[in-house]
Amino acid sequence: MSSGMGRPRVQQGRLFTLGAVVLLCAALQKAHGGPYMPSSDSAVLAELPAGAHYADVSARRLAAGRVDVAIPLAQFYIQQSRLRGDLRYLGYAQAVLAPWVQQKSPMPDVLVLQATLQQSRHEFSASLAMLERALSVSPRNPQALLIQATVLRVLGRYPEAGAACDQFSRIVESRLGALCIQSLRGLNGHLESAYAALLQISPQGWLSSEKSWWYSELGEMAVRLGRDDEAQRWFQQDLSLVPSDFYVRGAYADLLLRQGRAGEALQLLQGQESFEPLLLRIAIAQRQMHDPRLAQSSARLKAAFAAEEQRGEAVHRRELAIFLLEVEGQPTQSLATALKNWAVQREPDDMLVLVSAAKAAGNPAAAQPALDFMRTQGLSDVRVNVLSGAAVASR
Amino acid sequence: MNTARNPWLLSALLLAAPLAQAHIASNGFLSLRIDGSKLSGSLELAIRDGELAVGLDRDGDGKVTWGELQAGQTALQNYVLGHLRLLGGAESCAMELGPVQVNERVDGSYLWLPISAACGGVLKRLSVDYKILNVEDPSHRGLLTLSASGAIQTAVLGGSSELRVFELDHPSPWGAFIEYLRAGIWHILSGIDHLLFLLSLLLPAVLLRRQSRWEAVSIAAPAFANIVKVVTAFTLAHSITLSLAAFDVIRLPGRLTESVIAASIIVAALNNVFPRVTEGRWRIAFAFGLLHGFGFASVLAEMGLPKGARLVSLVAFNLGVETGQLAVVIAVMPLAYLLRSTAFYRRGVMPWGSSAIAGLALVWFLQRALG
Repeated sequence: MSSGMGRPRVQQGRLFTLGAVVLLCAALQKAHGGPYMPSSDSAVLAELPAGAHYADVSARRLAAGRVDVAIPLAQFYIQQSRLRGDLRYLGYAQAVLAPWVQQKSPMPDVLVLQATLQQSRHEFSASLAMLERALSVSPRNPQALLIQATVLRVLGRYPEAGAACDQFSRIVESRLGALCIQSLRGLNGHLESAYAALLQISPQGWLSSEKSWWYSELGEMAVRLGRDDEAQRWFQQDLSLVPSDFYVRGAYADLLLRQGRAGEALQLLQGQESFEPLLLRIAIAQRQMHDPRLAQSSARLKAAFAAEEQRGEAVHRRELAIFLLEVEGQPTQSLATALKNWAVQREPDDMLVLVSAAKAAGNPAAAQPALDFMRTQGLSDVRVNVLSGAAVASR
Repeated sequence: MNTARNPWLLSALLLAAPLAQAHIASNGFLSLRIDGSKLSGSLELAIRDGELAVGLDRDGDGKVTWGELQAGQTALQNYVLGHLRLLGGAESCAMELGPVQVNERVDGSYLWLPISAACGGVLKRLSVDYKILNVEDPSHRGLLTLSASGAIQTAVLGGSSELRVFELDHPSPWGAFIEYLRAGIWHILSGIDHLLFLLSLLLPAVLLRRQSRWEAVSIAAPAFANIVKVVTAFTLAHSITLSLAAFDVIRLPGRLTESVIAASIIVAALNNVFPRVTEGRWRIAFAFGLLHGFGFASVLAEMGLPKGARLVSLVAFNLGVETGQLAVVIAVMPLAYLLRSTAFYRRGVMPWGSSAIAGLALVWFLQRALG
């Protein structure tokens, strides 16, 4: 009798405790989710990075009257934008350049900077048009030629990109010219020999940014060759030289994630949450590891993509396709986004996400145009081969 | 693959031309709501953008504190008044900005300024002239959410775009009724948490608790009475709080509501595993139903209640919720009644199904409470 009475009471107690704890947690948790007034005047709301102060606005006013101020200032902002992965700096640079671009015959340097801005915003045709203007005035402008080569390469227009690289290599130091040419050959049918040629280059005397370019090209070629160990070494060397190279950090994380080394990827990306492309890799790693922080990362990414969508811009379409596929598990939507992205951007990673999404969505035929492009251009990428081979087999 | 780089350090200073840009570009969030001739809303700018507009960092230490933001309030308000113009027809609306507050967004803290404006008569159209940061950062955009008569329009303002004009519809009360009815049905059917709560309370309705065991009720009448009591109590309770919240009598923070709703499912489901309240479960339905009402209210708050059709819309939304709820009860409960005497129902669905619901709700709870 007593035991019969005792058991339910224990259960009741358990339920009560649980209920109490649950309600307490609910009551204690901060309930923001709306505007508020911080309780302390000294609460820090934001830290201002370099060049983002009110005082800098007056420097920009000065730049409106003096091109010798405007050019270095715009360069500084573009540099900051790259180092910090921060789109706002492109707006600052735009503000500085605006009066000079609107002139009747702008200086070539101004046009090249404007083209750089446009390229950074994925406004590729506008960027190319701006470069044409710059090159018509100053045909031997190395920056203009290198950006031209880069944009054309992103667009998959390899022969034209090759022509720009050839022009470029006639003006600059031969090793840099070779770097431009071989990187491109690595995409259109000569991956093995281009990689070998890059290995022949001695980076002695190069600035760290030039070395970093070399390392990253080597790393990416090694990835496409399937030599992951070598790729890892190149990425590590680059990061020890330029730790702020968030682009290579992302490529390295991709390699780790592909090998199922999500824990190492998280370690590599620690403290990089403020860079959305890296946050995307963090989210993928968290998903692989069933990390509860995934919800938070995913919410941040969603908000970022939504804001971009609302602005009607498409800077991160590749990332969005990857997010939909790898984090949200929505292959059909991912495929639609990857196709839109492929209509503009044709880099190996763009192809990779398209082929993966097509396969996951059960529609491998959707990736056929990309695979045809790959065949006609002679583009070689082990990652895509593995996937598309499987896609063909599953058909 | 170099979308992100194109490094060069030739003779020029320029380092590289990154393509894979991070960070959200500069956005201001302008949300406006129109009620007849009254216009209210808010403008949110990143603290960093506020600094660029008027200079908030008084001590120049590279940090903007709450004290500094408050000190810059007047300058900010003047800046906004000079760079944002609202026009109803040809005339500018008289705009007033309230005291500055802070809002947290995924990419950091934003300053938040309440806006109220009077535009003369009833607005048929609204023009917005958004010039904020157009000199300081031409890539800044104002993301507008404009809600009028329950209809929501969005737009991107700023940049090269000039004055933007928005036509404001005035839908008929009947149109609003259908719209809100649909929203209510949709919300209850897609918001699985409310249904799981209700189901947890209804699962034992076809059973009796006797000597620590579940037994099937022998006739339909008590089961039916149980179901009616629980559903009625839940409906009554959430209708009360939904109405109170819809008319702004009481407001609860969204995260708190959502967390407690998850907690209510845990409690209701665990009550099937470790029965404590076996008679009168309608009391649980009522008590937590009050909280679920606040959950419904937050959906309604997002939609807004159209002026002139507030009551009709509220009733329609609530009716929609009840319709959806009833549809599920009608679909599920006869099945539960038929299965009530099987071991599958009493020893399978009751403990294990309920545990699964509790587990799922626990996950929601942790997500919502801990963010």
